[in-house]
Amino acid sequence: MLAWPWPGLAHEAGHDERLPVIGPAPPFTLTSQDGKPVSLGDFLGKAVAVTFIFASCADTCPMLTDKMARVQDRLGDAFGKSIAFVSITVDPERDTPEVLKQYAEAFGADPAGWYFLTGSPEAIGDVLSRYGIYAKKTPSSDVDHTFLTSLIDSTGMLRVQYLGVRFDLEEFRSDLLGLVDESGKD
Amino acid sequence: MQNLHSRRRFLAGLSAAGAAGLVGSSQPANAEPPPETMTVRLPWSFRGVCEAPKNVAGELLRAEGFTDVRYIEPPMTADWSVLVANGEVDFNVDFPPGHIMAIEAGLPVKVLAGLHSGCLELIANDSVRGIADLKGKRVGVFSSTSTPHMLVTIMTAYVGLDPAKDIQWIVNPDVSAPQLFNEGKIDAFLGAPPEPQEQRALKFGHTILNTTLDTPWSQHFCCMLSANADYVEKYPVATKRAMRAMLKAADLCASDPELVARLSVEGKFTDNYDYALEGLREARFDRWREYDPEDTMRFYALRMHEVGFIKSSPNAIIERGTDWRFVNELRRELKT
Repeated sequence: MLAWPWPGLAHEAGHDERLPVIGPAPPFTLTSQDGKPVSLGDFLGKAVAVTFIFASCADTCPMLTDKMARVQDRLGDAFGKSIAFVSITVDPERDTPEVLKQYAEAFGADPAGWYFLTGSPEAIGDVLSRYGIYAKKTPSSDVDHTFLTSLIDSTGMLRVQYLGVRFDLEEFRSDLLGLVDESGKD
Repeated sequence: MQNLHSRRRFLAGLSAAGAAGLVGSSQPANAEPPPETMTVRLPWSFRGVCEAPKNVAGELLRAEGFTDVRYIEPPMTADWSVLVANGEVDFNVDFPPGHIMAIEAGLPVKVLAGLHSGCLELIANDSVRGIADLKGKRVGVFSSTSTPHMLVTIMTAYVGLDPAKDIQWIVNPDVSAPQLFNEGKIDAFLGAPPEPQEQRALKFGHTILNTTLDTPWSQHFCCMLSANADYVEKYPVATKRAMRAMLKAADLCASDPELVARLSVEGKFTDNYDYALEGLREARFDRWREYDPEDTMRFYALRMHEVGFIKSSPNAIIERGTDWRFVNELRRELKT
């Protein structure tokens, strides 16, 4: 487990107690910021954090993506190798792979481990409903949507979900590393 | 008090297609299986924004694998605990006294979790400065067996009044308590959102007790989730999945009240976005993890025992009518 000072963020998380197993994570096959198909099954063997954003969001999505970028930076070698992030757009009409690539770069996302996915409106709609995400276009072309970050273990099992964007970064990081530790022990 | 117990049509639940899918990996023995039943039935009701988690959970329920999410409109005079006990609906949201009376009556219901704290306000005119001043005053309720009547009885007894003798109860099932209050026909009433917000907008009356702020009421749950005991026993996975959806919806009320207020208006729960938003912001939907639901049941059962509403001890009520297994597991699965 990596350790570094991160004042003011941590509350008791710890790896000594395993996260619960909620059930098989809903699958998806979408298109990455590099225009390549990406499926949940591609991440077997890694711990994955799946979240939902859209690139033109001006308020909450940037906070979440920035938060995850900070965690990415603190995961060191584990990021990409044994941990991946997946950010799925809720605005597939506007978020093309090119748009998502720019967005990823703006946040310093490491393409070795962070995938920004889009797809047809039907495919995205299917993934949203499977993960229980509410998303609806507003008259101003914004997207009202809920924030849910799901942690999936190396066998594809959904283990814990973070609601909103105010979750504890240290706990989030610790949970991810706990899943990596687990996969090494199993 | 009309809104506390009036039935309004919930016209549009959140729609979504598809149930939770399965990834191609083998399923460990400890993984949660799909729900044993694809059907979940909830009351089609709006007794204040307190019920928002239940009412906006439709899409979340579908994501949990329920393909048949039904909102049942109960008859105007229905006792909701009886509907749950009879298996006409599977889950219900009510104030602790409502649940406790059902358990006391021997109905097969299980209280499963708290949804939020706060939200009720005891509103009075200028002749009443505090609860003790309610002695000799007119308090409006729509029925002498209603939860508002029980709550005000408990609240006044808590400060040493004799609710049966000291309060002049004005029972009127046809005219709402706020209307009676605004017409000067009563001195106080217990309001649930959006009633306190509407009263503030009118600049008429003031709050003498706010269960969001005033102890000991603020230290306990206001609305709690219950289910039919047979449903819980036969369908434990479905019970947990339905609870997960509704507790996620409670979190949504806390994290994005603007969205929930919009959904409440779109769903015809309420026609006033501003009041709904204010009510959602004031109630504490972020409490379901930290408060102990058993403490709430014990607190209210004790108060109800003291004033003679129930004969059973708090421990007997808790033993017969509660099941905290699911919420204890969900606390670990859902983080914020």
